[in-house]
Amino acid sequence: MKPKVAFFDFTSCEGCQLDVLNLTAEELLDLLAAVDIVNFREAISNRSDDYDIAFIEGSISREAEIPRLQKIRAQAKVLVALGACACIGGVNCLKNHLPMEQALKMVYGDAAKNYDTIPARPINAVVPVDFYVRGCPIQTGELVKVVKALLLGKKPDIPNYPVCTECKMAGNICVFELGKTCIGPVTRAGCNAICVTGGRQCWGCRGLVDEPNKNSEEEILKKHGLTPEQVVEKFKIYNTYVEAKK
Amino acid sequence: MKGNSVLIVDDEAIVRESLRDWLANAGYDVATAETAEEALETITKRDFSVMVLDVRLPGQTGLSILKEVKAQRPWIRSIIITAYPSEETTREATRLGAIDYMVKPLAPDDLERLVRETIESVGKEPTVITPPKAPRKAVAKAIEIKKSVVVSKQNFKSLVNNLIKTMDVYGVKARQGKYVYDNISNANELVLNYDVTVLPPTAYLFPPRETILKFKLGDTAKPEPVTNKTPRAIIGVHPYDIKAIEMLDEAFITANPDPNYIARRQNSLIIGVDNLNPSPKSFAPSMGTHIADNGFDLMLTDIGTKYMVTIGSKKGGDLLKKYVTVAEPTADDIAKQKAVLDEAQTKYQLHLDVPRERLPKLLEDSYDDVYWQSRSETCLSCGSCVMVCPTCFCFDVQDDVALNLKEGQRIRQWDGCMLVDFAKVATGENFRHDKASRFRHRIYRKGKYVLERYGRMGCVGCGRCANACLAEIASPLEAFNAIAESWQAKQAAQRILREARPESELYAPRPAQLVRVEQLAAKEKVFEMKFLDGKELGHQPGQFVSVSIMGIGESPFGVATSPTRKGSFEFAVRNVGSVTNAIHNLQKGAVVGIRGPFGNGFNVKALEGKDILFIAGGIGLFPVRSLIQYVMDNRKQFGRAIVLFGARTPAERLFVEELATWKNDPALEFYETVDRGTPDWTGNVGVITTLIPKVQLDPRKTMAIVVGPPIMYRFVIVELKKKDLPDENIIMSLERRMKCGVGKCGHCQINGVYVCQEGPVFSLAQLRNLREAV
Repeated sequence: MKPKVAFFDFTSCEGCQLDVLNLTAEELLDLLAAVDIVNFREAISNRSDDYDIAFIEGSISREAEIPRLQKIRAQAKVLVALGACACIGGVNCLKNHLPMEQALKMVYGDAAKNYDTIPARPINAVVPVDFYVRGCPIQTGELVKVVKALLLGKKPDIPNYPVCTECKMAGNICVFELGKTCIGPVTRAGCNAICVTGGRQCWGCRGLVDEPNKNSEEEILKKHGLTPEQVVEKFKIYNTYVEAKK
Repeated sequence: MKGNSVLIVDDEAIVRESLRDWLANAGYDVATAETAEEALETITKRDFSVMVLDVRLPGQTGLSILKEVKAQRPWIRSIIITAYPSEETTREATRLGAIDYMVKPLAPDDLERLVRETIESVGKEPTVITPPKAPRKAVAKAIEIKKSVVVSKQNFKSLVNNLIKTMDVYGVKARQGKYVYDNISNANELVLNYDVTVLPPTAYLFPPRETILKFKLGDTAKPEPVTNKTPRAIIGVHPYDIKAIEMLDEAFITANPDPNYIARRQNSLIIGVDNLNPSPKSFAPSMGTHIADNGFDLMLTDIGTKYMVTIGSKKGGDLLKKYVTVAEPTADDIAKQKAVLDEAQTKYQLHLDVPRERLPKLLEDSYDDVYWQSRSETCLSCGSCVMVCPTCFCFDVQDDVALNLKEGQRIRQWDGCMLVDFAKVATGENFRHDKASRFRHRIYRKGKYVLERYGRMGCVGCGRCANACLAEIASPLEAFNAIAESWQAKQAAQRILREARPESELYAPRPAQLVRVEQLAAKEKVFEMKFLDGKELGHQPGQFVSVSIMGIGESPFGVATSPTRKGSFEFAVRNVGSVTNAIHNLQKGAVVGIRGPFGNGFNVKALEGKDILFIAGGIGLFPVRSLIQYVMDNRKQFGRAIVLFGARTPAERLFVEELATWKNDPALEFYETVDRGTPDWTGNVGVITTLIPKVQLDPRKTMAIVVGPPIMYRFVIVELKKKDLPDENIIMSLERRMKCGVGKCGHCQINGVYVCQEGPVFSLAQLRNLREAV
């Protein structure tokens, strides 16, 4: 009996679900051979409330999302957070730095009174989460890895070391050596340092490692020319929620 | 260097001086050295064209320095002289690079002629059998290993382009102002005057990720090993990386030969290049890795428009033969090579402050230094240092299964001891959880563990980790120098003579009065002592004192009472020698000298909460009694107390009355035996080991305290191991000849350990490393 899989989205750009569709045709076929997808708004029109594994994209930013998520949790045997918004709150949490009324007004102007909002949060702030597929957006390779681990009944090997480890393995020249800065030294690896490899830098979309040496990273950023405010900004983009919780 | 400089190394003044005078008269610039050490020192300071070296020297032999001379100044020609010729020395000398061999007594004019010919033929290698006549002529067959030839840069490029047609070629390229190893598709991409690359070339022998097995899931799983034998050339390898490859060879090839590494290694050509432009963070000369004379197929030195090429293997020689025209080096070429190498060596800015041979000991003595904690504070545990290291080779192994869940591969990928979870086990325990212990472990690998395990330095001084570390704490050189400094400071502080405060009573005993004597058995008596000044001995159970009878001598005895019994202490003596005899003759009220307490004693804190199994054979009971009393006086702090005592005969039982009270004490489980019974003996008969099977033990919480005659230990250990007691739980007190008691006289030494300092109490786990012990 193939496990039934459902995808759900909350506050997000739905880019991570879109990335699921970026699997190669072969991978998609293999995936469909291994699981039944019963809910996937971006790809199929059928809907079903009978599923075993729920993938959740997006963070929680409205009251109404809370009971909806709880209902999914109650149904799913396994619940997987998909992408930075679901895993760590992600960019949605940037609004948490403002009063909620002001945030609503900035976005909706005069129509603000028609909407409600609460400070954004990752889904594990609302329900227990079994597995995480991190990143903004997710890496399809990691999604497949987690699915395979689920099917095999083992824990997926998701690194708890910083991006630097994989960045070095990729043979990259350190962005600090090129006069730029990044927060790879405290960010959880698993992305194969895709941003640095592609000529960019790490913004921490996969969240921090379990024991980040944040003091040291902040000192290093300052030594490389960032003001204390800029250092805060660096961490804000994806990690506002984690930072606020401390 | 003058082209005619000669160093004469001989310990016989007559030989040394006559050769010196003769050569000096013939116009040579001559220096002399008496010993191998002096020769090395001289060579470090100045250069020579020829060294005349005696084999038999006091201390190090002449041959033993040839290798070092070759490493430091590869161009020096060595002529060996000896009065004891043998085929073996000849062969050995040739192997080590000596170019000729003369037997003493020698005629000075013969030697002078040989020296002259050697200097004139500079560039000629000993292994070249027929020197080619025309310098530009292609060398067809005479290419030999260790020979140097000259190849134009254009020719070398064509060699590389030819290689590209037949195999994968990797080499150094410029990228974003740095240098990296990468695939080379045209020789023009190569940059050979680089300083250091981001990742080391060892990544082509031990890649970041590789499949080691392919398998099918399910019961029929039959894993299939996967290796990569693609022929490849790695071009531009610096000497320090060649040394790193040699280190990896030790790790991967020597024990449990690694199929994946060996497949790549055997199919890789290594074309090295001397580093004329060292990175500011490199300290290769301090690690002896700035020059490599082995471990490559070809080695280039850039001497302007051409390369001096040293042939390191037959493969390398064949390559030259196949693809390029080579020329014999001219004297100018040789001089140029020497000049560029000399200049390169002056460019290194960082140096080790202690000889690298001292590092293992230095580190061993600095395990608890505060440096590890303080310096690792800013460590990001990001793994950069270990990922870029050419000698790091730790890896993780993971299974990757295909989505069809039918097949998969087992993959190994780089891992490193600086990463938080590296030593974490499934139950959640992490054996190197704090930054400081990981930081220290890495430095210990670099300066000690790898060297001790594989015989090669774990750090080659490339400086990559120092470049990669954002917190700027990764350089082993910095750690080595910091530890050396703090160690030297400590040593110096202890050694400043005028501030030294002698312990005037170190050898002078304190007077103590004999307050009670009791005969225990035919030859054994116990003596109760009180210090005249009324002070306590202040000992731990298991420590010993030295008892002096002035005029007779001094002997060590274990203290037989617990420190909980205040006011006096006891020691027991078997009468076997002069001092013991004198002690046995003492009458109540006599005053003797006591030094101590000495030694470590039993670690009573570590025994708390445990079941204690005392096993005492014969007079081994004396020191054990101090601990039995201690346990009885602090009964609640310990679990079960089980005493096994064995004597040879009923008459040789000791502390008979006390044994009787132990037997009747419900707080104690007491068993005894005698080796040989008598008609009136109703107890156990048999050696003490026969008692052990009778006792039920919980091996996890039982600590065995074993003291007895040397023969007893081995058999008792066997019995205890049958009960699954771990080595750490078997505690023994060893008897050794202890004279001074203060770690100086050397009599009590077991291998490197002073029993009077680190002992006499050891766990079996400790003794496993001391081969002289049991």
